[in-house]
Amino acid sequence: MSYLHAPRLVFTGDFLSDVSTVNNDPAHYNNTTFKPNFQEPGKGTNNGWWNPEGGAVFDFQNCSVTQIFLPDGTTQSDPANDIIIGQAIQGAEGRPTGKMVDLDPDAQTYSALWCVQLRICNGNGDLLFKGNVATTSFRDIQMRQLDGGKSNGQPLGATWTSVITDVVWGDLAEKSTFLKTLRATTQNNTLTINMNPFGYYYAHNDGRFSLGRIMGSIGPYFEGEPTTFAATRRLYGINYTPNIPGTYFGVSNFLVEQDNRRVSVDFGASFPVSDSIGTIHYKQDLRLAVSKVPQTGVATAQTPVSYIAPNDLIEIGALNYQSDPGWLNKTAGIVSFSNLPDDTMTALSNSQLLLITPSTTKPGQYAIIAREAIDGLVTRADNFVQRLDDGQSVDIDYYAYQWGKPLPNTAISVTLDPPTPDTPVGPKNPISEVYGNNFPVNGLTFNGQIKTGNDGKAQMRLTGNAIDSPRVYIDGQIYSLTYQTSTVDAAFGTESVVVHLRDYFQEITDPVWDDISDIMIQYSNLYPIMSRYVVNLADPEALAEKKNILIFAFSRDINDTMHMPVTRDLSKTKRQTILNWLNNPQIAQRTILKTQAREVTSANPVEPGTELTDKQVKYREAVKAKNGSFPGFRATENLFENL
Amino acid sequence: MLKIDPKYIEKALTANVLEELYPLLQKAIELEHSTIPPYLTAMFSLKPGTNLVQRQIIHSIVIEEMLHMTIAANILNALGGTPDINNSQFVPEYPGPLPMGIGNGLIVGLEKYSQGVVKNVFMEIEEPENAIVFKSLDIKKLPTFSTIGQFYQAIQQKIDELAPNDLPGHKDYQVTSAFFPAQELFPIYTKQHAIDAINIIIEQGEGTSTSPLDQQDELAHYYRFEELYKGKRLLKDPSAPKGYSFSGPDIPFTPDDVYPLFPNTKTSMLPAGSEVLNRMNQFNASYYSLLSGLHDTFNGQPTWLDNTIGVMYDLKLTAEKLCATPFPGKAGYTIGPSFEFTATSKC
Repeated sequence: MSYLHAPRLVFTGDFLSDVSTVNNDPAHYNNTTFKPNFQEPGKGTNNGWWNPEGGAVFDFQNCSVTQIFLPDGTTQSDPANDIIIGQAIQGAEGRPTGKMVDLDPDAQTYSALWCVQLRICNGNGDLLFKGNVATTSFRDIQMRQLDGGKSNGQPLGATWTSVITDVVWGDLAEKSTFLKTLRATTQNNTLTINMNPFGYYYAHNDGRFSLGRIMGSIGPYFEGEPTTFAATRRLYGINYTPNIPGTYFGVSNFLVEQDNRRVSVDFGASFPVSDSIGTIHYKQDLRLAVSKVPQTGVATAQTPVSYIAPNDLIEIGALNYQSDPGWLNKTAGIVSFSNLPDDTMTALSNSQLLLITPSTTKPGQYAIIAREAIDGLVTRADNFVQRLDDGQSVDIDYYAYQWGKPLPNTAISVTLDPPTPDTPVGPKNPISEVYGNNFPVNGLTFNGQIKTGNDGKAQMRLTGNAIDSPRVYIDGQIYSLTYQTSTVDAAFGTESVVVHLRDYFQEITDPVWDDISDIMIQYSNLYPIMSRYVVNLADPEALAEKKNILIFAFSRDINDTMHMPVTRDLSKTKRQTILNWLNNPQIAQRTILKTQAREVTSANPVEPGTELTDKQVKYREAVKAKNGSFPGFRATENLFENL
Repeated sequence: MLKIDPKYIEKALTANVLEELYPLLQKAIELEHSTIPPYLTAMFSLKPGTNLVQRQIIHSIVIEEMLHMTIAANILNALGGTPDINNSQFVPEYPGPLPMGIGNGLIVGLEKYSQGVVKNVFMEIEEPENAIVFKSLDIKKLPTFSTIGQFYQAIQQKIDELAPNDLPGHKDYQVTSAFFPAQELFPIYTKQHAIDAINIIIEQGEGTSTSPLDQQDELAHYYRFEELYKGKRLLKDPSAPKGYSFSGPDIPFTPDDVYPLFPNTKTSMLPAGSEVLNRMNQFNASYYSLLSGLHDTFNGQPTWLDNTIGVMYDLKLTAEKLCATPFPGKAGYTIGPSFEFTATSKC
């Protein structure tokens, strides 16, 4: 599948993400050291960050279809051409909005959308189509805002790729040639969707607190393809900018269609923007080309630029974005070149795509801003974020491609990342000891040596085993499983499967309050919106009084937007024990049964202070950036002008 | 209960076919709904964790108004009609009169909780009919103003007269819920079911003709509001002339723990491009989503009701945050939820 296939539509607008933030700090999970001020807005571990009263709401706002792209290679943006153009994209109606939640305080860079519905209707409220966006997590977090995010606080952007299932077509869809073609092209009554959020506001500025910009595209789905990333080729940024983490144009997907003699590149997740709403004042001469010689360059301070001579490339064309500051908002950053000459198409079949700019320091040469993955190799896991209970198994699907085609017989190795050390209480960690991840190693069972079949796919069975509170006051453990083929492209690095394995916990059929009080008090601490406005989760009498609505919420399926807890981090047995208590709220003291759950904890095998891997360091920096506690991103000036 | 333009009672009493009752039951749904935004606004103005009895009493009444709205929709469906909820005509303009010329010109707004609002608006809305039970109503003898109780009795009487025992509507359109006792919210398949259901609406609103309690032994709405106004619990009191007196425990009230909502806040009062405008739009989007979900619930998808409960929480959370937010440019006020049917929430 690919959201880059024709026919596709692109949309632009805003998203609302009212995520809660008290739980952004692992130390806030410790009930014994929790203080009321952790629920107040403010930076630093002694406060509740930027939105302590968040309710995890995710919704589309002010989103509309700006363009459509047709199989013949034409783009239309005039509503007179097709009724889909200009129509609003909206979230659920008649039921609660979707939700946006992290996997865990130790896995905050995989923020996921749950239970999001997408609807496109016309101005009269008549349906064109609607469907459910399957749960999907952030990928490809990258640098976006040249101004360093000074008004909004978050200069990074990310990508959500997913499928829209259970598509319902309105009667009006028959009046849209585009939708008729899309419906005829797609399979299994499913569509693909790609969404690139950026420009998110932590700050109460510009009237946009808790809003961000989102743009993306919707296209056909083909059965058997991955659902959380596009089966496309990838461009990686290899430019170096002092003082910014990562690179601009960090990751861009692109599709080569030999039949249509076409290349379509999605810069929607990567194009550098001047501000939080995607304006581009940037004027650099940027061009696409195919390299005739293999490119392996990586951006470093030592070798900040790779160059290429004109004879070593075939130019495809220039990106025409400079004349319109609203270019990105209109096109969602997707550029297509059709009817390309034979030599270009032949070269593209086994050579790397490049994004280049004429060099000023080496006249006649080009500086390479981004290049395709080495040898055109891309390997990704599809269902890469998992919530597991002990005894549960799941098959992780891996897909390998070369030059956009499935790559058979390719070995993929999967290894558990080394444990991260515990962090004792100290000046930089004032509240509570914070425990490390990736241990005990026997928490997960998997075969880390797999090989793709003829279809380029490989499957790995992953089983969760019983673990006993390795993080003491945070349920379960986070495991990061790095996977790679024999070639690792340093311009992108490796990716991971990330698992929250919940603690072993035996269901208590006849619990008293003390059996669930730790869970409920922690819940109350971390989500003040519940205790402040709905029911004091730490008060058994208040819970008993509201037991009907709580039973309702705690018994919803995980794919129901009303599921409690919204973070979806409690094991089945813990939820069932809470339900058992709600069905018969026993507050009076009696022998506590929670000792049935084994109390022994697993010791961290590494000492405090043990060095982190580069990836683990990057994760911690990303979390700081996410929480607005990063020392601050500097503005980038004159990007690529003096290469 | 409030006084009503008698023409609606006349319409009921002159109906010759069940279809003529449809618009009246639609009006009943609209009326039951129309009291909810004013009650909720007052409730949301109470600061979280404070004035708990006030919150609890208003909440209990709102829940029953929702029940009455559902019962009215069930009756309309049972008679073969079609509830119509997700359109702009369904939402009243506040401040303004309630549907059906209710209350002899009573203007109902969206205001913060106060003793005055309880007395002058809420108790007015729920004021019981003082007359004795009307066994059969005679149009010629109708007074200038009649009451909602009489309106429901007229509909009841006509259903008894015109409807077949086995009511003609889709049986699978009837809405029930685990959140209401089965003796209060039950499927309406027969004429007797409809008659019983109407009695529940009347009694919960105004009590029986001889007692402030309804048949579930709960105080009728009027008396619950009167408890708030008097600041005292109403108790059985054999020495009192009517057997009850406000001799129970005090109901404490701290006016400082009420957010100073700007009365009848409107979206148009909020600055363009502001964070508070976004939040108000979010609130009204939830409000529309709720009406839309209820429309679907009452039009053939009764199990959808569960989903609307989640929307009610979205609406409540957004409203309570608004109530705590200072009103830009209006010193000393916070922002009330506007309960507007807005163009942005269409579709």
